[in-house]
Amino acid sequence: MTKQSTISRAEGWRRRGPLLPALIFTIVVTQVPFAFTLYYSTQSWNLVRPGSREFIGLRNYLYVFRDSQFREVALNTVILIAGTVLISAVLGLAVALLLNRTFRGRGVVRTLVITPFLITPVAGALLWKTAMFDPVFGLVNFVLQPLGLGDVEWVSQFPLASVMANLIWRWTPFMMLLILAGLQSMPTDVLEAGRVDGAGPITLFRELTLPHLRRFIELGVVLGAIYLINTFGAVYMMTQGGPGVESANLPFYIYQRAFLGFDIGQAAAMGVITVVATILISTLALRLLFKTFTATREAA
Amino acid sequence: MAEIAYKSASCIYEGTDTPAVDRLTLEIEDGEFVVLVGPSGSGKSTALRMLAGLEDIDEGTITINGTDMVGVPSKDRDIAMVFQNYALYPNMTVAENMGFALKMRGLAKDERRRKVERAAQLLDLTEMLDRKPAKLSGGQRQRVAMGRAIVREPQVFCMDEPLSNLDAKLRVQTRTQIAALQRRLGATTVYVTHDQVEAMTMGDRVAVLKDGLLQQFATPTELYDSPVNAFVAGFIGSPAMNLVSAPVTSEGVKLGGTTLPLERDQLAELHEHGLTSATVGLRPEQLEVAHPGEGVDVRIDLVEELGSDSYVHAHLTADDTGEPATLVARSHSRTPGRLGETIAFRKSHGPVHVFHPETGQRLAA
Amino acid sequence: MSDPARPTSTAAETPRKSASTEAVVPRPSTENVHRRRRAHRKHRGVGMIWSALAWIVGLGFFFPVLWMVLTAFKHEREAYTDPPTLLFTPTLDQFQAVLGSGMGLTLLNSAFATAVSTACVLALGIPAAFALSLRPVKRTQDVLFFFISTKMLPIVAVIIPLYVIVNEIGMLDNIWALIVLYTAMNLPIAIWMMRSFFLEVPPELLEAASMDGASLATAVRRVILPLVSPGIAATALICVIFSWNEFFFAVNLTAVRAQTAPVSLVGFITGEGLFWARLSAASTLAALPVVIAGWIAQNKLVRGLSFGAIK
Repeated sequence: MTKQSTISRAEGWRRRGPLLPALIFTIVVTQVPFAFTLYYSTQSWNLVRPGSREFIGLRNYLYVFRDSQFREVALNTVILIAGTVLISAVLGLAVALLLNRTFRGRGVVRTLVITPFLITPVAGALLWKTAMFDPVFGLVNFVLQPLGLGDVEWVSQFPLASVMANLIWRWTPFMMLLILAGLQSMPTDVLEAGRVDGAGPITLFRELTLPHLRRFIELGVVLGAIYLINTFGAVYMMTQGGPGVESANLPFYIYQRAFLGFDIGQAAAMGVITVVATILISTLALRLLFKTFTATREAA
Repeated sequence: MAEIAYKSASCIYEGTDTPAVDRLTLEIEDGEFVVLVGPSGSGKSTALRMLAGLEDIDEGTITINGTDMVGVPSKDRDIAMVFQNYALYPNMTVAENMGFALKMRGLAKDERRRKVERAAQLLDLTEMLDRKPAKLSGGQRQRVAMGRAIVREPQVFCMDEPLSNLDAKLRVQTRTQIAALQRRLGATTVYVTHDQVEAMTMGDRVAVLKDGLLQQFATPTELYDSPVNAFVAGFIGSPAMNLVSAPVTSEGVKLGGTTLPLERDQLAELHEHGLTSATVGLRPEQLEVAHPGEGVDVRIDLVEELGSDSYVHAHLTADDTGEPATLVARSHSRTPGRLGETIAFRKSHGPVHVFHPETGQRLAA
Repeated sequence: MSDPARPTSTAAETPRKSASTEAVVPRPSTENVHRRRRAHRKHRGVGMIWSALAWIVGLGFFFPVLWMVLTAFKHEREAYTDPPTLLFTPTLDQFQAVLGSGMGLTLLNSAFATAVSTACVLALGIPAAFALSLRPVKRTQDVLFFFISTKMLPIVAVIIPLYVIVNEIGMLDNIWALIVLYTAMNLPIAIWMMRSFFLEVPPELLEAASMDGASLATAVRRVILPLVSPGIAATALICVIFSWNEFFFAVNLTAVRAQTAPVSLVGFITGEGLFWARLSAASTLAALPVVIAGWIAQNKLVRGLSFGAIK
């Protein structure tokens, strides 16, 4: 018995061996800094005042919750993520349905549609700030001129919506890709059975296609939200969070507090709060991922 | 050339309590073709994989030519294996697939080429040597898998349901080819299947497994004529043996109002165990169709026409046991009767098999 | 099952009468053919509308990018016009100006950080994906869960200590700091994605190779890796896209020497106002490599973005 268990222990290490470098690396680079963040969030520490560092318990969190700007920024973050994700999902569904048919040049059209998602976010943000939204020379106002709306200063009048427009342009292709994958994994015999049973195209879509797509749309929404929590370049480039904090989201605000305000302690506390909020979405995401993952395994 | 011995070999999968293979003891002679057969979950594949070195031998041991194989990696056992899904290397051509083991052994290129060509000729694969597996039909892939095994001239062939991915006709064809090839090469072969017809037609000896336990290890005829228990009796033969529970009388057992006489030693053993009922077994071909009253009266449920003969499925009309026992008889007549008609089944030849009603063990030989 | 009369009669008739179909085929049937043709035509007309719509949508999404590329070839005075200028003589002036002002270095930095971090991801990720699929370690699910959970951690939560640590060890404005972070950033996605490719390899192949006398290393090199190489290539391309486009770490941890291409674009919004044409040229240069990488990898993009969950 002992002989057997030593063999299996050796085998266990042989199997674990290839995994360990990646595991250790990831722990060191991602978990250790977060532990520091937790620690910093209990410090009163401003880089501008050297030597001012001291332990203040949870008081940073208190300051953060009292900070009305933080509350506004948190709300902005939620609006930005929810708005972008939902509108992108609806548009993505529409585009995916268009691209699910076979037609001449379908591959080219798909390539064109995904390009906004690939382009460097900072470049995309600049493009929208200038070529699209410029009040005088921008294309949006040029197109809207005949409608009598030609002189809106988009970025300064509607900063958050402008950022969101840029993000929707970027994330609709993402949703489209996920939903299109869902459409293409739809078994045709089910649709054929439905048609034989006398269902029209709208009924087929509502009763068969949409339920099948649900999983994909959910996954798209949740993954989109997780990626979007890290939105930074678009805000940085288009509005710098302004005016005031009207268009700032949490990453940008924390960046401002830490690197422009040098308030390490409070910025760290905000970071921790962001993580806690994210955990909520993440748990959902993980459950979905594992479900989808095991489901596709079973199907295979 | 090799003799193989399983000595109380067990394999226990992680996270389970019951062993997948439980203290298996088997002695396989040199050059023998042994078939491991059983329903799914019987441990037959695991037993084969233990021999191949793909599963750990957790208890006991397996020896090849007297050498203990515990802890010996598969690559050092000189065993070739044919997998159920063939496991051909998709990125290599047929020739490269067949030559891979030789390459690993460090054989020179021309010698490799020569051996591969010879094996290819044997299996009618010469035309396909430069193709990739994806370009082959199911039967061709199966032959490449065979070729990959024989080109190495190993001590032992292991085959894990190699025919299960072929269609019915090809399966029968390939069955005879494999059997012939094995006789020609003379290598000890262990062959796993769930198909008892394959087991009966191919094996010199057949090991029947159930729930990880060896039930019987014998020649096909022995298995057929004297199964050691009700499980083997029911598993071997198609359609399956009729197994009916029947009350014991002084001359035999009571079946549907008539008495089926038993041999003297069978009766003696029944009395010795103090049994009032027994499980009796009759193969479909031991029953013939007769007029009502000439045997056990039955009502026809279904007639399966096979062209040459037909199988008559029927249930006992006068049922003593309470639950309607069904019987199958093989009839040479094309019109043994109509659905719902009452006829009789009569025992034609051979002994009645009698099994212990609880343990299922065979009573008297 | 089949009606024995009909097939034989038609089979006999068809070849003989095919020359004069019009005369022989009865009227209702012709009507039927016409109706079907009409329906077909109508169907095709509707199809054309949908196809046209798909093209319009596709071009609509692409148009801003196209506009950016067009502007990059304009003179500065053609970039600021109302209405927008469509016809112009293309010039490479802006590209020359951009590259002359030091963007070349940032492109090289980006290329270096992207290439090295992707290589590191593959070096760490391939063995890990193998250990989580074909020869799984115990508690594989937990390990997978851990890797994915690191992607759920917002980057802002770690940027402060990272800045402090990087500063302390004197790695600020050093490209290697970015390489380490990009590797960590992409490793979970890569492991999940490559695992999904490894899982498609039948495990019997490893067993067959070991029976054929190959060591595990040989089996992996000769049999497994050739099979999953398309998947590894797709994974690499996705890592390239993410690390090339990364902005947050780069803007916080680099300044001059190690500045990457996306950060260099910041210089165009500050300073003395905007130069659209020049900005567009810079943006085009910064975006081009990943757009091409993404176009190549588009069939596997979904798989990467969904951590291998969707094929």
